[in-house]
Amino acid sequence: MKNISFPLPITKAMITILVLIHANLIQAQNKTVISGVINSSGRPIPKAVITLEPSGKTILSDDQGFFSFSGISNGSYTIRITNMGFKEYIQEISLNGHSLQPLRIEMEPGIDLKEVNVTSRITKSNPENLVNAQYSAMPVTIIDRRTIELMGSRRLDEILKEQTGIAIVNNIGGGARSVGVQMQGFGSEYIMVLIDGQPMVGRNNGNFDLSRISVSNIERIEIIKGASSSLYGSEALGGTINIITRHGVVDPQMQATLNYGSLNIIDATVEGETPFLQNKGTANIAANYYRTDGFNTNSKYIQGTTSPPYDNYSLQGRSRYQVSENSFLALSGRYGLRRSFMQKDFGLGHISGDHQDEQDLNLSVSFDHRFSSNLRSITRYYLTHYSADMSVAWQQNNSAVSQDVFKQTLHRAEQQFSYSSNNSYQLVGGFGGSIENMNDDALTGANSLETLFSYVQGEWTPFKKIKAVGGLRYDYTNNFGGRLNPSFGLQYFITPKITFKTGIGTGFKAPDFKTNYLVFYNSNGNYLVIGNAVLAPTLQQLQQDGQISEIRQYVLNQTAGNLQAEKSTSYNAGLIYEPSKSLKIEGNAFYHKITNQINSIQVATGAGNRIIYTYQNLPEAVNKGFELAIKLSPLKNLEISAGYQYLIAQDLSVKDSIRAGKWPYNQNIHDPATGNSYKPRPSDYWGIENRSRHMANASIFYRHDPWKINANVRVNFRGKYPFGDRNGNQFIDKYDIFVKDYVLTNASIEKQILKDHLTIRFTADNIFNYTDPLMPGQPGRILLAGVSYRFFKNK
Amino acid sequence: MTTIQTIRKSSILLLTLAVMSFISCSSNEEDTAASLTDGKSNVITDLAGDTGASMGSGTDGKEQRSFHTFLFRFSDQKQFWLHTKADSLQYMKTTDWDLAFTGPYNSEVFVNNAKYQYNPGYGGPAETTAVILLKEAYKNVTQAPSDADFNTSEITKIGWSSSESSAGWFYYSLSSHIMQAIPDRTYAIRLPSGKYAKLQLVNAYKGNPPAVTDLNWPAPYFTFRYFVQTDGTKNLSTN
Repeated sequence: MKNISFPLPITKAMITILVLIHANLIQAQNKTVISGVINSSGRPIPKAVITLEPSGKTILSDDQGFFSFSGISNGSYTIRITNMGFKEYIQEISLNGHSLQPLRIEMEPGIDLKEVNVTSRITKSNPENLVNAQYSAMPVTIIDRRTIELMGSRRLDEILKEQTGIAIVNNIGGGARSVGVQMQGFGSEYIMVLIDGQPMVGRNNGNFDLSRISVSNIERIEIIKGASSSLYGSEALGGTINIITRHGVVDPQMQATLNYGSLNIIDATVEGETPFLQNKGTANIAANYYRTDGFNTNSKYIQGTTSPPYDNYSLQGRSRYQVSENSFLALSGRYGLRRSFMQKDFGLGHISGDHQDEQDLNLSVSFDHRFSSNLRSITRYYLTHYSADMSVAWQQNNSAVSQDVFKQTLHRAEQQFSYSSNNSYQLVGGFGGSIENMNDDALTGANSLETLFSYVQGEWTPFKKIKAVGGLRYDYTNNFGGRLNPSFGLQYFITPKITFKTGIGTGFKAPDFKTNYLVFYNSNGNYLVIGNAVLAPTLQQLQQDGQISEIRQYVLNQTAGNLQAEKSTSYNAGLIYEPSKSLKIEGNAFYHKITNQINSIQVATGAGNRIIYTYQNLPEAVNKGFELAIKLSPLKNLEISAGYQYLIAQDLSVKDSIRAGKWPYNQNIHDPATGNSYKPRPSDYWGIENRSRHMANASIFYRHDPWKINANVRVNFRGKYPFGDRNGNQFIDKYDIFVKDYVLTNASIEKQILKDHLTIRFTADNIFNYTDPLMPGQPGRILLAGVSYRFFKNK
Repeated sequence: MTTIQTIRKSSILLLTLAVMSFISCSSNEEDTAASLTDGKSNVITDLAGDTGASMGSGTDGKEQRSFHTFLFRFSDQKQFWLHTKADSLQYMKTTDWDLAFTGPYNSEVFVNNAKYQYNPGYGGPAETTAVILLKEAYKNVTQAPSDADFNTSEITKIGWSSSESSAGWFYYSLSSHIMQAIPDRTYAIRLPSGKYAKLQLVNAYKGNPPAVTDLNWPAPYFTFRYFVQTDGTKNLSTN
């Protein structure tokens, strides 16, 4: 195993910044102030989150409901207040050199249901991006910082797998480290992951492993379910996950957190935030260390771990500086390093060593300018680099099974404008371009993917009862061409208690270099894959060399040089019913049609029975179903919520093949229980692997104010889902291998002491210790204890 | 409202599930090796094939060469390796073996036969042997087919079932890169000795796992079972 140490320059920089923050903690400030008191029915509201736009500063109200932003320059601002159990409060303020009278704010109790929240107004909480989920015609789920803290989760995948309709899935064919997220039936390759609105890169077989991201510095997570290419372009075919990091401060503070428990998990975070230069600037910085021993869900056959042990270091910073009255300059950066070595012993000295080093860098610069209170511009540049050095070897004879070094770099520049006419409409438009490079030992030569894009998004309230959102985006890529993606959503407030909402959107994913240009020989499987664009000449060459025994001419004619972009169209419609201030019910039906999915097909047979594949487009797949969500608050500080998703995800070409009697789909299905065999019918097709028909979750969050205790219990159910084909007919029927239904129960409790400076937390994940060999990535029971200490000035 | 009722039902369902989870939380356990034993058949588990070879280049430690063939004799479960030319000369053209495990990962299986030119027994004494694929569960095969059927059988190699006409024993998934034995494929065999036998190839992965959950699960380690009717009749019942 390699020696692990944190890079020295980073450690130094971190210490310097933390010392500066500490110095600022002692300093006093006295500038123009926006302050106020938040009440509801005569009682003060503590711990409400107050955001000041466009500075992006965020603070919490104290026990008396009091909050204060100091050192604010002249200009116009919007304050936005959110708190669990209350409706969002928004107020416009303008400053002209004098301190304002403290504001008296009355919050209205109610529920801001975060699930299935189509076209509702979303806090513009990322100050460096004008394009946001607010303009999505697809349902948006938001997970805020407080919920993340209360859940006691450490990594991003742990948070997401507790959301309705989202699953974390292992891709066996991609190796032990290929883990991805699945959403409303869309696989990880169709879900775009963004950080502060900029795409993250680095995938293993199309899967983005979310466990490489710590949740410690996340302000909120915005999840869009459904085709969203009109907002984010190629890749957002099935949805997006946007991570918004912490930003904006008024009072300097520091926090140190340490969690320790099962699997020798250590999760340690130090974070600090401070204003600087007479409050013209703000800075946030956070460092996180996480380690785990990994775990084993298949101890009957394997000694060692099925999920990798690893050490993860990350450093994240974000700063914003007011250059002039109406201009801000912002910088943000993130660096992550994960080192992992996993051993597996299959018995008889068959020990495999699986090693991976991953590095991840994200840097962004943006310039934000307000021309007037209506017109705003953001210019931004983004750079991300990902590298993974992977190998798997058998230890007894030091023989490598696979070795690969993968590097990906993306540069992206963008210009955004927004225009709002007070309350009737808002428009956002922009253009930009990106260059992406991918280097892989398995690819022949380096490639670069160039993209240009331009878009317009808007929100319009023509009548009091109707609100519409829409968008249009054009993307041009050098290896594929252009594509236009529209979206449109509508919200109709039928009565004050009932709202109808609906939306439509499209998505696409351009064929990548691999599917067009890669010629790859798999030695383990003795097969050859030839990229579609180079298929005809490569086959011709092989034939001249006497390497071909048979060419399937009809497949060749149909596929060669004719690979289309994968496309999706998403529809959704639903109702929100809010019979009282403490109860909210939502139902939403969705229908996603995916066409031209890229898949492999045999095109020829080589000498020595070597099978030769290329890529083709499949006609159509459909994910359809519905979501239900209920949220109620029967008592003050008690919130109960539940969600359910019903999903059917099917590849319609399988049904066609069964109907047409094509081999191997036409093989008789054998019932092992009765011994009967019968001819398959299209209705025998169960659906796509890894998709559950039923998924559900329920949670109870409670806060007991006098004791300053927060507690929650969450139950997550996942219905049985197909693992793989058992009987060789290449489609899933009910006699194939299924992962059984399961329930995972998680709980967390925290108590604040020492005038809220110290928080003690106990977390229990998977309390009943449920594991399944078919789920190599789902650990058994995890118990953790943690403390966090906050340094801040007592009022 | 019906929606509310549905939701109430589903929350009741959830609560029930939560309660159920308190009572039991068993995991997926299937013992496939035990279920192969029937008291009459020979069950071979984890017979190591050639684990030292590799199909392609760039694999340190493993030689890039074709996999060494091994032969297997039913009567005493003896494995003969054909490492050298001398081994081949000594064993191939004899009736000392019944099965040959050849090709990539030793996954292509031949019944000793003198007539087919790629059979390791080509030109040897095993002139009357034949194999027939029966698409039935092993235990349900109680009778060997007629000699007329054996005489006309055209099955030569039992390997990857990559087409409709293939009598292969496994299917290789291009998405998961895992080979999977096809259930309900039993091979009726007329042996070099003239006796009748039945054979089921069960797995090529070490430990005969119910499902392969790791791309690098050690292979080839063969699990298979067979029954030879020693009295010379066609009765293959193992119940």
